[in-house]
Amino acid sequence: MSPGREDISFQRRLEKEAEIWVEEGLISPIQRDRIVSRYRVLKEADEKAGPGKLITTLSILGSILVGVGVILFVASNWSLIPKWGKLGIIFSSMMASYGFGFYFRYEKASYPRVGASLILLGSLIFGAGMFLITQIYHITVHYPNGPLMWGLGVLPLGYLLGFKSLISLAILDLLIWLGMEARFWISHSSYYGMMTMVNLYLIAGIALWGIGLMHREWRSLRAISSPYIILGSLITFSGGYLLTFEFFGLLAGSNTLWMFYTGITALFLLSVVMRFFSKEREKGWGPEVLGLLILTGIVLYLSLSSPPGPPKASRPDLRLFFNILFALEIFGLIILGFVRRYPAYVNIGVLFFALDVIARYFDLFWKLLPRSLFFIVGGLLLLLGGIMLERKRRRVLASFNIEEADG
Amino acid sequence: MRSKFILLVLLQVAVLSGIIAYRQYWVATGERILLKTAPVDPRDLFRGDYVNLRYDISTIDLEKLGVKERFQERERVYVVLERNPDSTFDATSVSRVLPAGKRFIQGRVQYERAGSKWKVLLRDDSENLHPLTPQWFSNVKKGDRVSFCLDERGQVLNFFKEEAEYKPKCRGRSLNGIVEEIEKTESRILHVEYGIESYFVEEGKGRAVESSRGKEDLRVEVSLRKDGKGIITALFLGGRLVR
Repeated sequence: MSPGREDISFQRRLEKEAEIWVEEGLISPIQRDRIVSRYRVLKEADEKAGPGKLITTLSILGSILVGVGVILFVASNWSLIPKWGKLGIIFSSMMASYGFGFYFRYEKASYPRVGASLILLGSLIFGAGMFLITQIYHITVHYPNGPLMWGLGVLPLGYLLGFKSLISLAILDLLIWLGMEARFWISHSSYYGMMTMVNLYLIAGIALWGIGLMHREWRSLRAISSPYIILGSLITFSGGYLLTFEFFGLLAGSNTLWMFYTGITALFLLSVVMRFFSKEREKGWGPEVLGLLILTGIVLYLSLSSPPGPPKASRPDLRLFFNILFALEIFGLIILGFVRRYPAYVNIGVLFFALDVIARYFDLFWKLLPRSLFFIVGGLLLLLGGIMLERKRRRVLASFNIEEADG
Repeated sequence: MRSKFILLVLLQVAVLSGIIAYRQYWVATGERILLKTAPVDPRDLFRGDYVNLRYDISTIDLEKLGVKERFQERERVYVVLERNPDSTFDATSVSRVLPAGKRFIQGRVQYERAGSKWKVLLRDDSENLHPLTPQWFSNVKKGDRVSFCLDERGQVLNFFKEEAEYKPKCRGRSLNGIVEEIEKTESRILHVEYGIESYFVEEGKGRAVESSRGKEDLRVEVSLRKDGKGIITALFLGGRLVR
């Protein structure tokens, strides 16, 4: 790995570690100096001009602001500029952003981070341009086509350049399209429509997650896997969380959306099949795939078997089921996060664990059950798990003759 | 890398240009028709920079047209149109299949509802008779004294019995008198969407359209593709083009 990809905290740790290596006689002091100096240039740059990530963040925020500005400019529909003038502004600003972005990132390579953000700006203007054109020409035939074309237009660019920002933008566009298109097909009742959306997005979240995992195991796609995994798992857990509440746990979907379920499930299954061909499957991939497959199966079954229309009666059994399922999902994710040393999983798992505990504590539903008992039993199980894991860890460390400090 | 990047950017340019070309081709080759708009709840009329539009053909009285078929939500339908003497178009029939040799517009069913229509004959204090068609009419019998509130076009906004305790304020024209006749007919109303229900106007212009539409006739020019899909090409308020 090049030094440019490491951060300052790594250097500090490295300096401390290198000291210990010298003491243990693993490396000589000269070797230590060479290793440390390899990273010192970056440290100096970070200290004087701020970390590289800060530059990326600033540039991306700048691009988003300019993009939003262009969209607002579009929305206010300035009246003084003729039709061709408006089109000219859109096309020229889009081409200029892409052109300068490519130049700074690849041709001259002098400002790669700013260049990448300018390319993101080009993609934002592409979307804004689409909305402007539909407004100038009064094209109101089918609104969902807008975000669909935006997402499909940006996605190939994201793959070509390997930009997470472009992939994230395309995924968000396609998720917006999914909601708008599905809303077009479901009943007019807003409450019922909201419940149907939860299931649809849950399925979509699982599919995104699955696609992300497939990307992670293919070396050429690994760099752009995180938007899929993070957005996918967040959506999956948000959907699962909503289903644990009384008002959502009544009914699980609508069979009028079968074509969406079919398409999304097909994409997910394709990603699962692709994982079988990967040579670099990650630890714990089997239970992970199985878990996601079971989850997809459950949501699909409940969505497609429920009759269209508002629910007839409350279903406490279904709600209890969703609550148990959600708890299992959380623990599965946290365990996977530790096994694979993937902090995003642990963070997402802990976040939803906290949200779940808060929700269940204030939940009216649990008045029916001995709530205190639920928390005590749950807590004791976790403690027991902790004791078992700690004993195992001690045994493993003891076999290497390593003593661990407390805390 | 460079050539692939240029290719993908050009593809985006092509998408944008394609939208423009598609619309221009549609307008150039389509048939232009004029549609009358129907009153909209004023709270919904103006949203952002869009004028929300409803048409006379948005609600179709199936019984009146003699259509026996029942329609499902989201079903695609073809509404056969006929020209009126004032050169606007009205619905004469609805079908699921493409009507051959007739002029038609394509739409999607929102829902079908059984409903009632009322015709009320009111004799005012100067003994003049006024036929009125309120959207709903109840708790009133022949011989009652009733006050109607009408908009500029004579549509009933609300009504109340003169003896009633609660008398809603009338923002339009009041008409008082004795109810001479009440005629209630049952009907099946088909609500249809054509994808031409909103029109983008310049900032601030929407309110102007909103405030003057009660006084003046609002008509919409639509270009129809061969398959009956419509696209708005112009808006006329009292015969003047809205830009």
